[in-house]
Amino acid sequence: MPPFWGLRNLLRHPLRSALSVAGIAVAAAMLLDMVMLSGGMDRSFERLLLMRGFQVRVTPKGTLPFDTEATLPHLAALLATLRRDPDVVAVGPVLGTSVYGRRPSGHGDTLVTLVGYGIDPSAQTLYALLSGRDLAPADSVGLLLSAPAAKRLGAAVGDTVSLVGRLDPQMAEAAAVRRFVVRGTVRWLYDYRGQPSVGTLLPLMQQLARDQGEDRASVVMVKLRDGAPMRTVTRRLRAQLPNAEVNDVADLVAHFRERLVYFRQLALILGTVSLLVTVLLVATLLTITVNERLPEIATLRAIGVPSRRVLQQVLLEGTVLTLVGGTVGLVLGLVTARYLDAILTSFPGLPAAFSFFVPRVDAIAVSGTVVLLTGALAGLYPAWLAARAPIAATLRAEAT
Amino acid sequence: MIALLLQLAAGPVARLPEVALERRTAAALDLTVGDTVRLGPSSDAPAATRLVRVAAVYEPAADPSAILRRELRLRLHLPDLAQLLGADDRVDRFGLGLEPGVDPDSAAERLNRLAFGYRAYPSAAIAAESSQTFLVVSRFHRAIAVISTVASAVFLLCIMLLKVEERRLDAAVMRFVGVRRRTIFGALLLEAGLIAAFGSLLGTGFAWLAGAATNAYYQRYFETHLIFSLITPRIVLFSVALSLVLGLGAGALAALRLVRTRPLVLWGRG
Repeated sequence: MPPFWGLRNLLRHPLRSALSVAGIAVAAAMLLDMVMLSGGMDRSFERLLLMRGFQVRVTPKGTLPFDTEATLPHLAALLATLRRDPDVVAVGPVLGTSVYGRRPSGHGDTLVTLVGYGIDPSAQTLYALLSGRDLAPADSVGLLLSAPAAKRLGAAVGDTVSLVGRLDPQMAEAAAVRRFVVRGTVRWLYDYRGQPSVGTLLPLMQQLARDQGEDRASVVMVKLRDGAPMRTVTRRLRAQLPNAEVNDVADLVAHFRERLVYFRQLALILGTVSLLVTVLLVATLLTITVNERLPEIATLRAIGVPSRRVLQQVLLEGTVLTLVGGTVGLVLGLVTARYLDAILTSFPGLPAAFSFFVPRVDAIAVSGTVVLLTGALAGLYPAWLAARAPIAATLRAEAT
Repeated sequence: MIALLLQLAAGPVARLPEVALERRTAAALDLTVGDTVRLGPSSDAPAATRLVRVAAVYEPAADPSAILRRELRLRLHLPDLAQLLGADDRVDRFGLGLEPGVDPDSAAERLNRLAFGYRAYPSAAIAAESSQTFLVVSRFHRAIAVISTVASAVFLLCIMLLKVEERRLDAAVMRFVGVRRRTIFGALLLEAGLIAAFGSLLGTGFAWLAGAATNAYYQRYFETHLIFSLITPRIVLFSVALSLVLGLGAGALAALRLVRTRPLVLWGRG
């Protein structure tokens, strides 16, 4: 028996083999995409949360960061409590609010709606500087702009911009107006695409957003010392702050998973369908091929080729088919993942830095292994048929 | 127990402000009509809380944009809520009814010209904005459907090719006894059509079952009456037409290949 008898058969029917490879490739691509989707969201979100190394978020009771307009009161006392914890090395309070920017004259509508962040520059977790310079801890007139905010305001580094807060429609006037100098442009890490955001020192944003004397923040980011047990510290902080919500990165990822449960379940269903398609394709192709070659197999068995060898060859045929189709499919999967990611990341309100499909070595390895095993197992039935071919009856039928 | 104690402290229950609880909120907090509950703007301000009476439990209108948030909701009379929040005479938003024939876009534009501290939007613009999420999901489903269709087409072509290849000997015999190529082609095409039609029928049944299971699962999971999977006659028609076209196309290609092969080759002696 020729050593690669099974493989020669694949070359004997190039169209049939090519179609099978194409079918397996599309199924493998779909499987890879679904594996990437199911794990990619968590990884991407976790990476986003840990971008600045702050592992814990403290928010108003019953809320998640920037989920509602609720704020944390008595901020100074809260920060003091957090700083007293031996495992806490930095706390970064942030106030998120709506403010308005006044454009220079000649731009039509003079008030531009903006998202305002009040931050502490010494423990900032929200942005990466793109141009200009960062805010100094006592910079009472400094302002940071996102690129969309700079565009809407028609402002650049060094320009003066007026921010307006607490508009009163009945009196047609603003309760707070303040002039700032643009220090730099930044990329806000959690902003959605095109979000016009500005940042100032926290007390200045508090004045723009609320009445004087209200020491509030939307969220406090907490950085733990290296090696600190995150879960234990979170539990401890939770006990110390019963009127606030304390979540570490693992908790936030769990909440996020719950919200995007639909995509994980869709990934599971479509991944299973992809595997079914692979099984059906390989099993059907090999079964028909074996049936076609029964006389050939019977002859080989009659001249002394053991049934084990026949079984091996049919299994090898299925494995090679799956290997080639799977390899093409993995490349195809990486390409389609980019396309699908571009669709899903256009979700409104989703951070621009977030990805649904994250290319990972483990995802590729898992998908490749699963497809290969599935293809190989799908060849078991036709291989069993080939090994148990009735030699005498088949040869007699062929002779007549 | 707490509600009972507060009730005693508050005096006659009938004079309390009333709230309506969403069914899920009532179930989660184990409250029913007539119960009293203390509400406050913030968990750290016990002095600002007020005792209210549950006057109704309601089933909310199914809202796809709210199901993922799984918030516990209740409704208060506007003055009661404003007083509770210490934000008298303030609202987040309100709706305006226009005179018949007034264009909402131009009305909103006119209001915005006069606006200070508010923004007017036509309802259609709000609907378009709030449906963005579902448009993205819809685009994603379409992309997945395209990939599935490509996979199905390749699968179908492969199966048809194999089915037709199985008929090599039959085709050879028919050619030997003088049956015309066109007749064989037609017979194979008919077979492909029947297989595609039967497959479509099975597929429609399977889709209906899968849709029913999807709805049952997600309606239970999200505690809603929303319909997650809807199979309309138009979708069935499109899917059946697509599978028939693909099946017939694949069958035609495979049959054409078969009838172009010489009979002796089909017989295995060429």
